[in-house]
Amino acid sequence: MERALLFGVCVLLAAASAARAEDPQPQGAETVTAAQAEFFERQVRPILAENCFSCHGQKKQHSGLRLDSRSRLLEGGENGAVVDLKNPGESRLLRAIGYDDAELQMPPDPPGKLPEPAIATLRRWIEQGAPWPEETLASRSAQQRAWKTHWAFAPVRRPPVPQVQRGDWPRSPIDRFVLARLEAEGMSPGEPADRATLIRRATYDLIGLPPGEEEVAAFVSDPAPEAFDKVVDRLLDSPHYGQRWGRYWLDVARYADTKGYVRLQEERRFHYAYTYRDYVVRAFNQDLPYDRFLVEQLAADQLPLGDDQGALAALGFLTLGRQFTSNPHDIIDDRIDVVTRGLLGLTVTCARCHDHKYDPIPTADYYSLYGVFASSEESIVPPLIGKPPGDPASQAFQQEFETRQWSLEEYEQQQYAILLDTFRARSVDYLVKAIEGREPPQQPLPMGHDALRQWIVERWIDTIERTDERHPVFGPWHAFSALKPSEFEVGAATILAKWTTPAGDDQPVQINAAIKNRLIAHPSKSMADVARAYGELFAQVHERWRTLTASTTAAAGSALARLPEESEEALRRVLYAPDGPVAVSRQEALAQYLYDAPINDEVMKRRNAVNQHLANTAQAPPRAHTLVEHPLPYDPRIFVRGNPTRPGNRVPRQFLQALSGEHRRPFAVGSGRLELAQAVASRDNPLTARVLVNRVWGYHFGAGLVRTPSNFGLRGQPPTHPELLDYLAARFMDEGWSIKKLHRWIMLSGTYQQSSRDRADQRTRDPENRLLWKMNRRRLDIEALRDSLLMAAGRLDLSLGGPSIDVTLPTANRRTIYGLIDRQGLPGMLPTFDFASPDTHSPERYTTTVPQQALFLMNGPLAAEWTRSFVQRADVKDLADPSQRVARMVAIAWGRSPTQREKQWALEFIERDQAANSGGDALSAWEAFAQTLLLANEFSYVD
Amino acid sequence: MSIDPRTDDAALVSAGLRLTRRELLARSGMGLAALALEEMLPGATARAGQSLGDTLHPLAPKQPHFPAKARHVIHLFMNGGPSQVDTFDPKPALEKYAGQELPTGNLQTERKTGAAFPSPFKFQKYGQSGIEVSELFPHVAENIDDIAVIRSMVADIPNHEPSLLLMNCGEARLPRPSMGSWLTYGLGSENQNLPGFVAMCPGGLPIQGAQNWQSAFLPGIHQGTYLDTQHTEVEKLIEHIRGRLPVERQRRQLDLLQAFNREHLERSQGDLQLEARIQSFELAYRMQSEAADAFDVSREPQHVLDLYGPGTQARQMLIARRLIERGVRFVQVWHGAQQPWDSHTDIGDHQKLARECDQAIGALLKDLKQRGLLDETLVIWGGEFGRTPTVELPNPLIGNAKVHGRDHNHYGFSMWLAGGGVKGGIVHGATDEFGFKAVEKPVHVHDLHATLLWLLGLDHERFTFPYAGRDFRLTDVHGHVVRELIA
Repeated sequence: MERALLFGVCVLLAAASAARAEDPQPQGAETVTAAQAEFFERQVRPILAENCFSCHGQKKQHSGLRLDSRSRLLEGGENGAVVDLKNPGESRLLRAIGYDDAELQMPPDPPGKLPEPAIATLRRWIEQGAPWPEETLASRSAQQRAWKTHWAFAPVRRPPVPQVQRGDWPRSPIDRFVLARLEAEGMSPGEPADRATLIRRATYDLIGLPPGEEEVAAFVSDPAPEAFDKVVDRLLDSPHYGQRWGRYWLDVARYADTKGYVRLQEERRFHYAYTYRDYVVRAFNQDLPYDRFLVEQLAADQLPLGDDQGALAALGFLTLGRQFTSNPHDIIDDRIDVVTRGLLGLTVTCARCHDHKYDPIPTADYYSLYGVFASSEESIVPPLIGKPPGDPASQAFQQEFETRQWSLEEYEQQQYAILLDTFRARSVDYLVKAIEGREPPQQPLPMGHDALRQWIVERWIDTIERTDERHPVFGPWHAFSALKPSEFEVGAATILAKWTTPAGDDQPVQINAAIKNRLIAHPSKSMADVARAYGELFAQVHERWRTLTASTTAAAGSALARLPEESEEALRRVLYAPDGPVAVSRQEALAQYLYDAPINDEVMKRRNAVNQHLANTAQAPPRAHTLVEHPLPYDPRIFVRGNPTRPGNRVPRQFLQALSGEHRRPFAVGSGRLELAQAVASRDNPLTARVLVNRVWGYHFGAGLVRTPSNFGLRGQPPTHPELLDYLAARFMDEGWSIKKLHRWIMLSGTYQQSSRDRADQRTRDPENRLLWKMNRRRLDIEALRDSLLMAAGRLDLSLGGPSIDVTLPTANRRTIYGLIDRQGLPGMLPTFDFASPDTHSPERYTTTVPQQALFLMNGPLAAEWTRSFVQRADVKDLADPSQRVARMVAIAWGRSPTQREKQWALEFIERDQAANSGGDALSAWEAFAQTLLLANEFSYVD
Repeated sequence: MSIDPRTDDAALVSAGLRLTRRELLARSGMGLAALALEEMLPGATARAGQSLGDTLHPLAPKQPHFPAKARHVIHLFMNGGPSQVDTFDPKPALEKYAGQELPTGNLQTERKTGAAFPSPFKFQKYGQSGIEVSELFPHVAENIDDIAVIRSMVADIPNHEPSLLLMNCGEARLPRPSMGSWLTYGLGSENQNLPGFVAMCPGGLPIQGAQNWQSAFLPGIHQGTYLDTQHTEVEKLIEHIRGRLPVERQRRQLDLLQAFNREHLERSQGDLQLEARIQSFELAYRMQSEAADAFDVSREPQHVLDLYGPGTQARQMLIARRLIERGVRFVQVWHGAQQPWDSHTDIGDHQKLARECDQAIGALLKDLKQRGLLDETLVIWGGEFGRTPTVELPNPLIGNAKVHGRDHNHYGFSMWLAGGGVKGGIVHGATDEFGFKAVEKPVHVHDLHATLLWLLGLDHERFTFPYAGRDFRLTDVHGHVVRELIA
């Protein structure tokens, strides 16, 4: 019975919503042309949404008017029709937006009159008969169907390995998936690469360097069938593997050593960014399971780490983004982006201003994640992650560090307490200012003592907006603020009269007695009077509390401490709440310039003193740029159209709807960051493993199975081999999320071991090699190129870890991964050679071929330096015979012997060039020759 | 076969291959692979928006959406924010209220401002059009009949950093490509031996540094090439332009290199990317002499040097002309490091700044016109915002004790355009009686961008790049082409 009833209700609801959704265009403009629809969606709807819906939409209907559908627009409001389709020019809506009429001006000030082009657009639209393409039920359900059936949201299941005709070719399951696709297209795989090619490919792939001559020779002559397995294992065990693959991950993590543009005396470096980089290298070398790797990067601070706090450095994944001159909304946006595009292949930040246009990501989900990240902030001084060594130099360092830190703490804590007290004591000023409403965020400037901090004004508005007319403290505030200024006194008297008449049933709310008495005792003539009354009470309560806590020594910190008067205690709790009007953290106080300017300068100076000591001392033990949770997590609200001055509905902190199914629950512990991490790194998450497997595949082949590696949404490209992707993703998770195993599966396949030879018949069918009928030829990226040049020069320093170095110096011999990444000044060679921009998450690198690259290698001082060293290598210089020396140099640069022709050209060149060399600063003939070898395509490409 | 029906880049690639690789190489080596823009832009995208053509010849010239009025842009960036009421927007009403509060009240800007502050500079009418210009810019004013003065510019925020990014990249905070990057991405450049987008700033970087000419998510090659124009020698102006080999030796070295490369190419059965790299060395070789020539202003005849006058600004303007002449797409000329036009304390500083650049800018316009280049070159003059018509109040905290300056003002300010299909001798829009806020025909920075793209033959709504799940535009979701500015 109950079931039948429910069913009936559902049918009724469905019918009702169908009727609403079809919403015929009642008069005129019955059909909407494509051009009209485009005009409406591109130009009209944004104006309405931006300026009208907040008061005339789903949530509020001022004057009974809604403007969020055509039928409601035509219905008009309490004061009648607003659009006259017979005489469109006479429409009241147009008079209102034109400000033609002093009594009827919309939108009201603020924000005030629309810009002229917007008014013209609305006028044109009304004159056309207000055509409004309704989103039909059909199109909405088509979208939902697309979401339901989208391949990337389907659970990862291990598909059966397909049957193939050429059963002798496959070496591994991967090959069966690839061959099945090729055979289906009537195509065939390529021949295996020769061994010298294969070992060079594998060595560059795994450690980013060319193989040694002996390694090549040993492999070429190794008759064992598992010879290549041994090569792969050796390379995976090399500590230089992490230096190669860690760098790939740093692209994902938009790693940098600096904060981007900073203002005034703010610290511009992340002094300990390198500990994150080293953590990543170590994680790859140790083959840390990928799920654990992710959880550590999102929430290491919430894991039981035991004695080894090294994993705290993992949080650099979140903290090392651009700092956007301390704009918290942009910092959080960047964190949401790096997590969602980087780990999930979803473009969630599209939903910052409106629901995602293509993917099932509502704006609410964006702010659910926003709430998670808004509930933590960076620690003031990065915590230690290693034990400082006990030697005297380290002890001296530590002593000085403690002195400086103490000097900072002592001063900052004292000033911070004074600051909060000042804000509380000035409650009157802040509340009076709060009436004027929110202001567009500006960059903070050093402030004088008397100036009000807009930051605090906004927090007061937050506090008030969290309440409604039934709130004991702010209920009266809401009642009074609803009154029009012109009718304030009359309205206020009516409200007071209601309070003073004996309580009836219509007064269910117990108004705070202190507020009530004050407002009755001093009738308000304006909202400013009300604000003053509140402010005076808050200030008074603050003063009482100070007196109380000063006299009862232990009471201040005690949870039992309270003001004796109940109504005053209620006010105090508002004023002192951890999410209350003056709840700013020490980080915010400094970043937003809330202190008086001289104090701000002093705090900054003392912080910089600590930082400089950390940065400039070789003995500084490693620290981590971590996050700490706020005492009270932030409850996010949707910012209407992404505008933080227009907070809308509240949403819980929770994971994405599209990936949670029906079981979605709000996060329960603190910020929810650990729960977020677990949801990302879950076996049930359909995206995480697919995205990672695809990235690894892409680095091995030059292109992923999905060619939009950070967009697996509906606008991304579908996989060329969906079953193969799922096979790898499923197996990857089943076998412990091991990236090293994944490398083995890929590299031991026949697909990977194909030659890169062109075959015209295959190329015409698949010019982009999407079906993998050959290996792709790839150019060395800047890391592999620079490291190889240094290696040929005999100067490469392969050591692991430590602070970043300046790669532009001629003395810089460390691997490129250890170069300092300065967001405000990347060393020119990096962007010239297509380095990933560290500004935001980077899905993959471009490969451009431009003369600036050639100029760097031909003329750059570093290139000259390396060339000189190449010729100075003992194993080159000591060879007196020119022919032998040429052969030796070719072997170093290209890993093979020169052909007879090549050797002859070389010797002729050297002879002629020696004659032409007039000495001085110019390269010698041998150097010119050495440089030629390094410039050659053979040096820069991997087959 | 059906590999992936959702993209048509396979078609483009095979089209490219049908040209035969060598043919394409021969044509594109000198940058003549004028593949249609529609093919090069979204739709025809492979990896993260890259087509094969983009990869191999990112700066090859490309066709715009529709016939362009302008082919080049010179953006004269008066960084710091020149005051409109002291330059191109006379406000006699300020005299009436001098020293008093404005009857309309002050708008909120970065800092507190006080009473009305009339301009200490005199205005007079110039040219056939009779447009008034202050005594700060007499040489510019001589060209007023070629200039469209926009007196109703609007930006969003009265702070330098976001406003610089808005003016350059159309977005105040997040990393987005700059105008010059968009243009070289969309149109390529007409001279493959020079960078397509050059940013000059003498003595160091402006506020926000290289972000002002960033390529963001576009390939790095579209980033502006920065030149510190305080230097006069070409080696210091442009990186790696001279090496450690005399030219004849270098030529022989490259011949050996290409012999090696050809052998390698044979073994590899030909490959477009290998061939492109071979070409890149030849381009680099030619760039050495071409760039040395372009940046060497001493090759100009004396009467031209005299026209521009002495000093760094003159040298910058001359280099700008020489680059445009050689086909460079976008040249940005900054007044100087940091924010020289930021006259918070003393508006008298404007006089010194204007003296530094007025003659050179006036000369640039004349020179371009004489050479017939003004028609195809859009010249843009302006800052990131303007300044208040009210005086900035002293604020010892930020070291401002004198009461003779103006604060930032994004509500209304002046910029001007010349050449490149712009109507000359007109004033567009107006600020209020006192010059505080644009009230007639406001032109937002996005509108300026939309108009700039239109003049270069690009529809700002169709000119997009797919990134992070969205099609991005220079104008984001904003911008209207200001038709009244177009001749």
